[in-house]
Amino acid sequence: MIHWSLIAVLAFAVAWTEPAAAQGFKPSKPVDFVVHTGPGGGNDVLARFIASAIEKEKLVPVRLQVSNKTGGGGLTALAYLVEKRGDPHTIGTFTSIWITTSLMREEAKVTIKDLTPLVRLALEPAVIVVKNDAPYRTLKDFVDAAKQTPGQLKQSGGSIGSRDWVVRQLLTKHTGAQWAFISFPGGGERIAALLGGHVQMMVIEPQEAGEHIRAGTMRVLAQIADKRLPAFASVPTLKEAGFDVRTLPVVRGVVTPPGVPPDVLAYWEDVFARLARTATWKKYLEENQFEDAFQRSAEFAKFIDRYAEEMRGILGEAGVKVVR
Amino acid sequence: MDITGGLLQGFAVALTPANLFWCFVGVFLGTVVGVMPGLGPPATIAMLLPLTFQMNPTSAIIMLAGIYYGAKYGGSTTSILLNVPGESASVVTCLDGFAMARRGRAGAALGIAAIASFIAGTVGVVGLMLIAPPLARFALSFSSPEYFALMVLGLAMVVLLAGRSLVKAVLAMLVGLWIAGMGIDLFTSTSRFTFGHSELLDGIDFVVVAIGVFAIGEVLGNMETREGTQMLPVPKGLRNLLPSLEELRACRFAFLNGSVIGFLIGVLPGTGSTIASFMSYGLEKAVSRHPEKFGTGVPEGVAAPEGANNSETGGALVPMLTLGIPGSATTAILLAALILWGFKPGPLMIQENPALFWGLVASMYIGNVLLLVLNIPLIPLFAQILKSPVYVLYSLIFGISIVGVYSVSGSLFDVWMLAGFGLLGYAMRKLDYPAAPLILGLVLGDSMERALRQSLMMSQGDLAILVSRPISAVILGLAAIVLLVPLAKKVGEVRP
Repeated sequence: MIHWSLIAVLAFAVAWTEPAAAQGFKPSKPVDFVVHTGPGGGNDVLARFIASAIEKEKLVPVRLQVSNKTGGGGLTALAYLVEKRGDPHTIGTFTSIWITTSLMREEAKVTIKDLTPLVRLALEPAVIVVKNDAPYRTLKDFVDAAKQTPGQLKQSGGSIGSRDWVVRQLLTKHTGAQWAFISFPGGGERIAALLGGHVQMMVIEPQEAGEHIRAGTMRVLAQIADKRLPAFASVPTLKEAGFDVRTLPVVRGVVTPPGVPPDVLAYWEDVFARLARTATWKKYLEENQFEDAFQRSAEFAKFIDRYAEEMRGILGEAGVKVVR
Repeated sequence: MDITGGLLQGFAVALTPANLFWCFVGVFLGTVVGVMPGLGPPATIAMLLPLTFQMNPTSAIIMLAGIYYGAKYGGSTTSILLNVPGESASVVTCLDGFAMARRGRAGAALGIAAIASFIAGTVGVVGLMLIAPPLARFALSFSSPEYFALMVLGLAMVVLLAGRSLVKAVLAMLVGLWIAGMGIDLFTSTSRFTFGHSELLDGIDFVVVAIGVFAIGEVLGNMETREGTQMLPVPKGLRNLLPSLEELRACRFAFLNGSVIGFLIGVLPGTGSTIASFMSYGLEKAVSRHPEKFGTGVPEGVAAPEGANNSETGGALVPMLTLGIPGSATTAILLAALILWGFKPGPLMIQENPALFWGLVASMYIGNVLLLVLNIPLIPLFAQILKSPVYVLYSLIFGISIVGVYSVSGSLFDVWMLAGFGLLGYAMRKLDYPAAPLILGLVLGDSMERALRQSLMMSQGDLAILVSRPISAVILGLAAIVLLVPLAKKVGEVRP
């Protein structure tokens, strides 16, 4: 209780001091950095990179300790963060899975709304690829072929609500073409299905695709990005290819538990703003071909709300039951 | 580059003092991680990843790969001594390994596991070195219908794992299949059998079920019958701590079988070492001259699965290194590590980074020798555990089981489920239901359902896709033989 009132007093004091700079709070013990995937997942690798980059750049006086709270389709990590209400020594990586599970799962006792978005760090673009010996030269070729043989062409991808699923929903709705979407749990299996000729198309990260294109095993038809990526300067974006659909990006960011005092929020916001300016971080973005998309807490919260509304619409149109 | 030149270059890389040191660190950590149930190679590698940013990438991959294959050596230890599977791939080792320990041959079982691991681990590296690119291309011709057929072949093994009653074995297998179906359905995102608990959305972890049914169930059963007092005879003298020539001779085929099956299954991205060890055990029993003795502590029953889960490592590295396709959680994180170090995993990686590839291959030969040298002297030490009085041993098993399960997810919910599955295991023992078919159903159920539904989506609902593709048809034919031969034998016995 003493702890709580102390935080309240502190928050009050900081709210009165203009401007609300990050003076009040400094972490005094190792910080718990919560990740919803197991070791090796996208967010896990990101979190471990951030932890070591922050240490290297001496942005935080204590260590960031990555802890994997797996299970429950991402809900275990979400619930854990909500339980840590007000804890200044806990942060977590954001995942858009929390948005879809919040919309789709009756089992979810807490939702994305219970967390405080801290910063948005990066957007991950993607490209649409086919096997190198496929007859399709452009995305239009593929869509036309799909129109002629409805349901015959196949795309390998993730589960409902994933980015590649969203792309397919929007493209089929936009064009009236129909093709099958076959879910595979692992990225490796999706690529193997394409290279083996068992499916005809997939949505893939530019980094992974780049090597296959260089080796001549895949051909890229279009890129899912607002503007062309440097590594794919000759490849049209979806819009340029004649498909004006607004897809949902894959977002990397950081959140805090609910009820964190404003000075703590400001402190962490500032840490990540400084991280985003370092050469270490810029190099990481470049190597992975991520788009620099830094946003502070308030903007990021608005972005998440918009994302959730769009996802609600897409899920609803696909006939998926939305529970809240 | 030709293979001799490559290998010479590889040894030049791997034999530098620094790389030799990191190779040792890797296999040592791997052994430790393997011995402890729960904490597996993916978690260990992830924890060490930030440390490797400052290292030379070749040394780093040598060390991380060492953890990966080293863990497979250690995994058998708790399976054999305590009936607690150290990792998922060691479940099958419990069947005959623990039975050997009960007959006072714990040391021999551990020795056979180490030797099988060494042979198969080395065969896996040879395979990786000689035939990786063509094999990776062949593996691509496997898709959902072939995987489904492979899972059917696996399930057909139930007739081999059955004890006295085939009906009871099939019932146990169905329970396993049911548990495998729990959680979010991949295709429709429907929650199945979650009873409103978000903890069940990802289904029930295999480790929880395996440790519950095997270790806890076993202890509960023994405590009740009080046979525990003379349960574990203590091996005396060095001779009894190591496998005899006779035992080794019995394993000749098992060493080969485990090596080949494990490697081939490992190459396929949609399978894993647990399936490999079940397949290899099944094959060993199918061709054995005394199949009825399996489960009572035959050395082949340890050698085959332990070999399979070791050569699987070499196999799993094939698609990862030649195509940039991860086939398991561990290869996925190794792939992420390669990207962080500035490599570009994909079809051109080996060609463009020969020192990395050949250095890794050479280090794996060295690592396997190190592991054998490291593990053999540990055997007498580990076997001493069995000298402890029963009340210490049982507490130890409970402790290791609970810590192991908790360390996987950090959730108390899983610990309660462990207790529940312990009771299930106890009930199954009392009613003479075999536990292995339940685990088999659980391991295969998820992938089998997925493969079937993917196949039907590919063919727009036409079941013919399962038999019209040659590889799939051949595997299904094998499954039919596995199912029909024992039946034919029975018919033959009835009418001599």
